[in-house]
Amino acid sequence: MKRILVLILALALSISAFTGCGKKTEELNLYTWAEYVPADVIADFEKDTGIRVNYTNFETNEEMLAKLSAADGGDYDLILASDYIIKIAADEGLLSELDTSKIPNWENIDPIYQGFFYDPEDKYTVPYAPGIPLIVYNPDKVSIEIDGYEDLWDPSLVDQVGLMDTERVVTGITLKTLGASFNTEDLDLIRQAGEKLLELAPNIRMLHQDQTQNALIQGEINVAFLFTSQVALALQANPNFKVVYPKEGLGFGVDALFVPKNAPNKDNAHTFLNYILDGEVGARIATQTYYLCPNKVSYEYLPEEFHNSLMITTEDIPEGEFIQNISSEAEAVHNEIYTAFKAALD
Amino acid sequence: MKPRRQNRIWLTIVPLYLFTIIFVAGPLIYMFVLSFLTRDEVWGVVNTFTLDNYAKILKPVYAQTFLESLKLAFATTLLTLAVGYPFGYFMARLSAKWKKLMMLLVVVPFWTSALMRMYGWIIIFQSNGLLDKLLMGLGITEDPLKLLYSYPAVLVGMVYSLLPFMILAVYSSVEKMDWSYIEAARDLGASRVQAFLTVTLKLTLPGILSGVILVFIPSMGLFFIADILGGGKIMLVGNLIRDQLMTTRDWPFAAALSVVLTVLTSLLIRLYRKITHTTELEGIL
Repeated sequence: MKRILVLILALALSISAFTGCGKKTEELNLYTWAEYVPADVIADFEKDTGIRVNYTNFETNEEMLAKLSAADGGDYDLILASDYIIKIAADEGLLSELDTSKIPNWENIDPIYQGFFYDPEDKYTVPYAPGIPLIVYNPDKVSIEIDGYEDLWDPSLVDQVGLMDTERVVTGITLKTLGASFNTEDLDLIRQAGEKLLELAPNIRMLHQDQTQNALIQGEINVAFLFTSQVALALQANPNFKVVYPKEGLGFGVDALFVPKNAPNKDNAHTFLNYILDGEVGARIATQTYYLCPNKVSYEYLPEEFHNSLMITTEDIPEGEFIQNISSEAEAVHNEIYTAFKAALD
Repeated sequence: MKPRRQNRIWLTIVPLYLFTIIFVAGPLIYMFVLSFLTRDEVWGVVNTFTLDNYAKILKPVYAQTFLESLKLAFATTLLTLAVGYPFGYFMARLSAKWKKLMMLLVVVPFWTSALMRMYGWIIIFQSNGLLDKLLMGLGITEDPLKLLYSYPAVLVGMVYSLLPFMILAVYSSVEKMDWSYIEAARDLGASRVQAFLTVTLKLTLPGILSGVILVFIPSMGLFFIADILGGGKIMLVGNLIRDQLMTTRDWPFAAALSVVLTVLTSLLIRLYRKITHTTELEGIL
């Protein structure tokens, strides 16, 4: 009995010690993909400010939004996610307006990365990782000159192409070859793209979300359609790879940070935003995420070889088209043609 | 004394019921109700009753994914049985010391994440990978093969991950078997093969049954193996459900697909039980 009493007392003591701690330590609940914000940046932020960062991961944007809406815009202080889902979250009223007076480094943001559809007045978001997906191929193994999406259909590329396993991207580039927008609402046109997509099936060796560049580096595939970070990684592994800016038109996407409506530690979220908008910190992030750097002060800190491997300039940005949310009817047709496409793969 | 004991029984039963209601019945009911609702334009669900989600499953594009899943599940179960039965059988006949060691070796892979182990297979299968180098080193092939991102690669991954369930199920039923029956059969003039087919196989049928069920059900749902080793080229119901939740945001359709998948799997198990049960009766008669 005495023993149990001691145990209970000890437990009670430790609990009160912890809660005491919790009140004094400042916290920041950051919610994004695993390893998307470099660990050393977080460690230095904690050291400099004394704010403890609780980094939680999601796998997909949709998972994030499901949790955020279940928590009614609470629980998390800062979320880093993709453009289209931020637009949905904004429409659901889950975003909180930023107080730029608390973010002195706000003016470091390159305005070319602002004013997009998900935040036209720059009230809610800070751009983190903008990117343009591009075609990369191995000229030693490919006999044709690739200059657009249309070339992926070339009969000489049978069983050699790898694409990202992302429905709207794959159906989207097919729409581009028909001269249409990613976001067309013309259902007949989307179905027509579906017919054309089936003809691509023999050329597809694999579809993957995260490691398409590895298949290219390994020689498993000779042509790949890759996200910006993957393009950079592929070129780092093999500088002989050729990068193609598809002539039919570029895609574009931005992963950005926002503070949810009922974030428990809004001030700390602002402190963090200001921290990563510092020129030197921004450069450290860009060199580790391999995306474009949305911080204009960071440019001088970026290493020379990094500029070369990235190969995308700000002049390309206005050319890029976002993949945006479309009507549920159009979305359903996209899903149908993509499912049929995947079933047609061997 | 008596009423007090009954109270105690309630103490153990109530949490069990609560657990089942909250974590098993609850989600199933939620899924069932959701499958009759309508998706909202961009995000979420509206409370409008509809049967469209079920009608949509009948479209050939989507119905095809069920066939594809069944095909893979059947192939996986058969292969697992072909490899797992002899393994479990001979394992049960080892000495106690070796049995323990084998048991450990069968279970050890579970300590590593299944996803991680699939990436291990990529290293083996990739072009110029371990298997390619071995085959070329032995002079069997000259150029790297395209082993990865193929149907056989997916099958290997499926069989590999589900094999322990079959082995353990067969093992436990062979282990429990009374060997004097086989001695009796042999005494009465049965050959080794006859004794195995008429006695051992019938006595270990419960093990086969549970092994088949333990392998078949997960193989209807395991879709990440098809994604990783199949290069995303095989469209299973699991992939389709995931896509509805994660990209198309059509939760009611995902729920309808899940309901159909659940019903279909339960029906197949019932059918299988019925068939094996009758043969078992025949064996006794």
